[in-house]
Amino acid sequence: MSFFVDSFYSALVLILSCDKELFFIVLVSLKVSAISTILASLAGVLLGCSISFASFKGKKMVITLFNTLLSLPTVVIGLFVYAMISRRGFFGPFDLLYTKKAIIIGQTILIIPVIVTFTISAVSQIDKRYRKTAMTLGANLFQTSWLIVKEAKFGITAAVIAAFGRVISEVGISMILGGNAKGFTRTMTTAMALEYDKGEFVFATALGIILLLLSFGINIIFQIIQGKSEK
Amino acid sequence: MTIYTLANVTKVYKNKTVLNIRSLKIKKGYIYALIGPNGAGKSTLLNILGFLELPSSGTIYYRSSPVIFSQKKICPLRKEIVVVNQHPIFFSTTVYKNIELGLKIRKFSKKKRDKIIEESLDLVGMRHMVKAMAQKLSGGETQRIAIARAVALSPNVILCDEPTSSVDSENQIIIANLLKQINEQKKTTLIFTSHNRFQTAFLAHQTFFINNGEITFASYENLFAAKVILKGQEFSKCIIENTLNLTIIAHKVGCIRLLIDPEKIYICEFKEEKFANNSLYARVVQISEEKEKVRIMVFFRINITVIVSADKYKATNPLIGDMIRIYIPPEAIKILS
Repeated sequence: MSFFVDSFYSALVLILSCDKELFFIVLVSLKVSAISTILASLAGVLLGCSISFASFKGKKMVITLFNTLLSLPTVVIGLFVYAMISRRGFFGPFDLLYTKKAIIIGQTILIIPVIVTFTISAVSQIDKRYRKTAMTLGANLFQTSWLIVKEAKFGITAAVIAAFGRVISEVGISMILGGNAKGFTRTMTTAMALEYDKGEFVFATALGIILLLLSFGINIIFQIIQGKSEK
Repeated sequence: MTIYTLANVTKVYKNKTVLNIRSLKIKKGYIYALIGPNGAGKSTLLNILGFLELPSSGTIYYRSSPVIFSQKKICPLRKEIVVVNQHPIFFSTTVYKNIELGLKIRKFSKKKRDKIIEESLDLVGMRHMVKAMAQKLSGGETQRIAIARAVALSPNVILCDEPTSSVDSENQIIIANLLKQINEQKKTTLIFTSHNRFQTAFLAHQTFFINNGEITFASYENLFAAKVILKGQEFSKCIIENTLNLTIIAHKVGCIRLLIDPEKIYICEFKEEKFANNSLYARVVQISEEKEKVRIMVFFRINITVIVSADKYKATNPLIGDMIRIYIPPEAIKILS
């Protein structure tokens, strides 16, 4: 018990002392996660809205496919992207492996299904009469869609926040595609795994505390948004 | 001038025909009421007239031209018609922004938008609500703001789905007067659905009765469930609502729904013997004036509406509480299903 308390106390001291290496790792994590979330949001919201508004054969199948992709393990995505961007891969000439860009690609693939399914759910929950109201006010198809998306903004924002929470805490993609290079691609989760291997519990605990605080903050925002959408 | 002409318009949902209008003409600048029971097809007809739903078959002529339901051709037409729902939907923003939306779509300048919004809110007496959140309004306020939003767009036609069904009696009068005022001042064609006969009598120039998706000859008020219990060569016996025996023209025994045309029911003298069958001694429970006619509701185990001319009423002069003798000719009874 004292080992845990001592590690926890030392970790707090490390955080409060604003350790440069620690905060650089946090910064890398936040940067790659933020970029992948933005990219996935652009693609996911557009895709989710398109699927939701369109009526086509096999729509339920497509939604089921995206729901299935929600449980895709990060290591599988890591291996898949690795095969594509490694020297022998299709995108090998771009020299992306073990870079932040590689992590961003992997993480974007990971969370697109999250944003797509949440967006479909958020848009579907908007009363069908909103669409008719927009149409009777003279809105064309694009204007009607935009009005519906605006009505579903809380649900869509919740989707983006949930996606960010997913990427900031993933380890498989960052490890396989980023390579955990110190000062370059070391993220909070990969650093924690390494420090644990080395027996450096204090550093790993400090990163764990920051990660938990970040997740806590994200969940508070998520709850606030959900609460607003239910009002 | 005829603004709408419908020819053999049908709407089919999951193999069920919910609307079947053989012919319907709507004149410009008039107020029309659609009256009928729930699920009769009133709202479907409004949505089709508002170009929000495609008919399954048939042709709609709008201002003498056949309507083509393609995205490109229907959008400009929709800008001439506004549908006001029974429970109007507002986007989660202010009253101002909700009214402004349609004007923005029509590319009005900011100055003009502000002026129109002020005018339309003044018309419905809700100018003080301009900054209120639209989704926080009460039922009456919601309906009035929805009318303001429709009027702001200066449409040729306003289609109101049960505009007063979810508001209190004070707002019912305000809204009815408002619709009349809009029609008189702006010459806007108004078509509204309702269950309220008094309201339709006050507002509408013409009333259409709709039942099972079809325009019928009579009010749905005399709509009953019945059972044909004995089939004769010419006439059959039926029992209405398990309580009233009548002679009707029916071709088979079994459960039916029937309509009694209130205008074909006679008020007869007590001593007239020729109407022995289908004559009832009923108590007058309600009398109201409807254009040049008088509606009399009588009670004999069930409520039955009788519509007579004002002259006929003066001649017989029944009062509330009086016992009168009515005769329902078998020809006045129409079997629906």
